Amino acid sequence: MAAQQTLVDVGGIVRPAGQLDLATALQPHPGRLGERSAAHLLRRAGFGGTPDQVRRYAAMTAGDAVASLLTVPPVSSITPPQELEDFGRPVSMATDPLQRSMLGQEMTARREKAREGLDAIVALQLWWLNRMLTTPAPLQEKMTLYFHGHFTSRATPMYPWITYNQNALFRRYALGNLRDLALEVSKDAAMLLYLNGAQSVAAHPNENYARELMELFTLGVDNYSEEDVRESARAWTGWSVDRRTDTVTFDAAQHDSGGKTFLGRTGNFSGDDIIGMIFAQPQCARFFAASLLNLFLYNDPEPQLVDHVAALLRRHDFELTPILGAILASNLFYSPRAYRALVKSPVEFVVGTYAALGLQTIDPFAIAALTQMGQRLFFPPNVAGWPGAKNWLTSGTMIARQNFLTRLLNSQTLADSSWLQGLPVASRAAARRLAQTILQGDAAPEALFELEGYLSGTGAAALAPLSVENYDQRVRGAAYLAMATPAYQLN
Amino acid sequence: MRRRNFLLGTTSGLAVVANADHVFARALAQPVRSAVEGPLPGLPGGADRCLVLINLSGGNDGLNCVVPHGNDRYYQLRPALAIDRHDVLAIDANVGLNPGMQSVKALYDKGMVAIVQGVGYPDPDHSHFRSTEIWQTAAPDRYEHTGWLGRYFDQAGPARENLFKGVAVSKVLPEALVSEHTDIPAVPGLGEYVMMADRNLAARGAFSREATDSHLPFASPYLAHVMEIEANAQRSSEELPKLVAGYKTQASYPATGLGRSLALAAQIVGSNLGTKVIYVEHGSFDTHVSQKMTQNTLLMQFSNAVGAFYDDLAAHGNERRVLTLTFSEFGRRIEENGSHGTDHGEASPLFLIGGGVKGGLYGTLPDLSATNMGNVRYTTDFRSIYATVIERWLGRPSAALLRGSFTPLPVLG
Repeated sequence: MAAQQTLVDVGGIVRPAGQLDLATALQPHPGRLGERSAAHLLRRAGFGGTPDQVRRYAAMTAGDAVASLLTVPPVSSITPPQELEDFGRPVSMATDPLQRSMLGQEMTARREKAREGLDAIVALQLWWLNRMLTTPAPLQEKMTLYFHGHFTSRATPMYPWITYNQNALFRRYALGNLRDLALEVSKDAAMLLYLNGAQSVAAHPNENYARELMELFTLGVDNYSEEDVRESARAWTGWSVDRRTDTVTFDAAQHDSGGKTFLGRTGNFSGDDIIGMIFAQPQCARFFAASLLNLFLYNDPEPQLVDHVAALLRRHDFELTPILGAILASNLFYSPRAYRALVKSPVEFVVGTYAALGLQTIDPFAIAALTQMGQRLFFPPNVAGWPGAKNWLTSGTMIARQNFLTRLLNSQTLADSSWLQGLPVASRAAARRLAQTILQGDAAPEALFELEGYLSGTGAAALAPLSVENYDQRVRGAAYLAMATPAYQLN
Repeated sequence: MRRRNFLLGTTSGLAVVANADHVFARALAQPVRSAVEGPLPGLPGGADRCLVLINLSGGNDGLNCVVPHGNDRYYQLRPALAIDRHDVLAIDANVGLNPGMQSVKALYDKGMVAIVQGVGYPDPDHSHFRSTEIWQTAAPDRYEHTGWLGRYFDQAGPARENLFKGVAVSKVLPEALVSEHTDIPAVPGLGEYVMMADRNLAARGAFSREATDSHLPFASPYLAHVMEIEANAQRSSEELPKLVAGYKTQASYPATGLGRSLALAAQIVGSNLGTKVIYVEHGSFDTHVSQKMTQNTLLMQFSNAVGAFYDDLAAHGNERRVLTLTFSEFGRRIEENGSHGTDHGEASPLFLIGGGVKGGLYGTLPDLSATNMGNVRYTTDFRSIYATVIERWLGRPSAALLRGSFTPLPVLG
């Protein structure tokens, strides 16, 4: 277990009780999903389904449902938010020389202004949350968010396009090849700025990126030496960022092209070679296998399960599609051990709530709420990303979660929740429908009873009987109660 | 598990939003007895001692805070920014305080302030973000996801019943208080640490009846944790205003953020909730441009708030119970820049304030010669100050919390 914990750094990890049957664990799960498993799949592979989506997936087999989730549209049709366009594109994106020169001056002024505010980044946060909610390919956004927390960079408000471009890179590789992504992200402007690659030159190699590449991104501690860090840092010298144009540059004169010894091999290695050698280490596949199992299945996965998925990763040359397909369609994924075995992240909590209510647009107040819950997009707490799991939940973040629910459920937005507004007036039927749609039935019998009592006004609080006048408020209150149960905090 | 069932009465979770009864209110705030080890001679017992941490965020310029007015080189390198010799609140022929810091100077003259100069750490990082993280996690050479005080709470034993053993007066829990097992509330203000009860939702009053114990139709390794945190959130937000309601503030605090934060800190200390650590913030000291006005104002706000804080504490006989420690992620460059400001630097002074402090100057005078690329080099590792606080004030061994052995300074007792 101790060895396992060195693979993935998640705070307060807890493995579910029970025994792993490795022989059947990753076999395809037979039969149709039903609503409970469909909702489970949509929570894990996305951010939670709408009631309609849950019903649609419930009729599918696991294989068909996962095949549908693995089908992603091309990213070329995705456009950035208008606020980012208003901020101005970096000059590199303009083709006409005169326009480039004019834009250059304008950009300087705009960037000065951006020091003051985070408008463009906030717009980007809201834009991304809305993508998570409305995308036809939720797994694409889920993996984009995973990569954001894995290959961490922090936004620099002066360069919002650099953040957007990194986000687009993660989306492009959401179901792509892990090794190719590792190579691209090593030469990504946001990463070069965040982990000091941009300042790393042959005369003074900066070891920050070289160290995190192995410690946090690909291998884990104790799987390389300090010399490997130094030699890798030399191999990455020369890559930098032109801060006027937001473009990545390579200056051969600043690159250390001399001989290096890395992970036991010697040669005139470039950064590309370094990635190749890292991914040739068996530990690299184990590292990503454990990380993906923590994301999709449960925390602290058994070492033999990790080895099994690691072998699968190597067999598929680090292509994600077959691996995610195998995990998400497996017996283990639909077993009680995996069910509600994870803590919802704030983003899962917020976006999932909009989805469960059948709402189409995230409110701007969700941005501040997410910060209070501990997950400010584009600003992970440090290079290790969000520790997650148990660490998501403190008194303060729990109050933030509950207050977010109160605010949303009492807002005008809720008038757009057609299923909630169409709840049966009969309180028993209404309580069952609420518990089913919001909790997939994961409520104790007492909770159902109390919900019904609250709706009908026969509960302990001595409310007026349910009527046309109080129907709207009562339904909102009942939805709040259902969402205030422990099950709703779990994924 | 039995206690939780007793308090919540249910695993359905609905009782979490119920009207709680208040029978157990006082039980929530018992002193952290397990943390008591070896009271210092002449000081209150360990259970009564509280650490107040003030983050001077943004990088406080140490040289215009504790001014080396005896050093000509300071005046040469800072033609626009240097504090005039006549304005410095002189401590001795070498150093004195920023003119805004009269209240702190008065406490210094009473022997209640220790100033440690040249505090930092090896291989200083010049990023706000990373250097703040280094100070908060006490880990210059690696990444820790727990803070130095979070680890203190984790290792201080079974004190989980007390929901207010630590309080961060902030919107978001600072990294210093992030722990593996201990739930520390972040309380921006009494009015803000509340579960919004909305008249229209009417939900929180609806479930006063305890449901009987039951089983949920699923098992989760995190279920118990979720329920514990939900109960903590509900009860602590309900009880805190009541627990501190009897306290009468007896000082006039400045109408600043820090003034309000320290007024709440004094109220929590005076209400005897067994609180061991309170965290407050003040800033931003990131004075790249037009530093003098900004920093002088911030330091005056700091000084006035701290002055009122100790007046209030003294009026309640609590001044020897509270040790205040300041920190800032870094100092600033020795030489001023072209915008009448200073850029990110390295070591800077910090303050320990309180009735238990042996007042005076500690550490070494900053060396302003051009030996360190224009930066003040550190001469005291900040972790030796943390070791002082952990061992001599909080009464715990420090090596395990700081992942190394650091010699305490003789500034307490």
